[in-house]
Amino acid sequence: MHLPHSTLKQEFVKKWIMGLQRCKFSNKNMSILERKKAIKLSADTAMASARKGLTCWSRALISNPDRPVPTTTRRASSACKKIVKRSRRIRRTAKCGAARKGQITRSIAQCLVRKRTQILKSLIPGGEFMNEVCLIEETLDYITSLRVQVDVMRSLASASARASEPHN
Amino acid sequence: RRSRSKQSSVSSIADDQITDLVSKLQHLIPELRRRRFDKVSTSKVLQETCNYIRSLHREVEDLSDRLSQLLASTDSDSDQAAIIRSLLMQ
Repeated sequence: MHLPHSTLKQEFVKKWIMGLQRCKFSNKNMSILERKKAIKLSADTAMASARKGLTCWSRALISNPDRPVPTTTRRASSACKKIVKRSRRIRRTAKCGAARKGQITRSIAQCLVRKRTQILKSLIPGGEFMNEVCLIEETLDYITSLRVQVDVMRSLASASARASEPHN
Repeated sequence: RRSRSKQSSVSSIADDQITDLVSKLQHLIPELRRRRFDKVSTSKVLQETCNYIRSLHREVEDLSDRLSQLLASTDSDSDQAAIIRSLLMQ
């Protein structure tokens, strides 16, 4: 299931070129915002289809490419901060025995893991349906694919920037 | 008693699997790769994973923005073809 980086990159480039040609992004009647959406959509679709249906996240992304991705989850992060504050307060109180402190620390750690797992589920396409093991496997694959996507988009941006510089 | 030990061995296999996966995650995330030889808590790994994914998403957004402006200036098909050729020479 795990592809070497270069193969994944080639697949992504191939699919992205197809997508870009199809959406005719250089159509002058497009607004900049429309063009940006088309570029991003074609990049996301290319990234997902490069996995050839082998991963859950790629299938979820293809079937629902416009899902809103939460950029900040303020509620979840403030809940985590409260948990950390509470754990510090408990550790400071001398009245707790060592065993009790250990128990509390463990349950706080479990609570943090649960909350952060929820956040991760909201970030991976199709994550809300995954169990823990599946979620982490999918996350590893998703991160690898995202890095390839960023890599290729970045080199296209620098190549285009160089191409649009006035020749001397 | 036999069934209980069977259950605990099944759940310890899942635990081992998760521990292994979490350590793979730790190696993948730049923020945590420097602490390769420390034991980083699972909750910390999860937190840094979420931060990393969010930053990658932001980069894709920014790059899409940049590309939409850069590619707006391609007037002819030949310019477009040149850009696509540069993509192919990855």
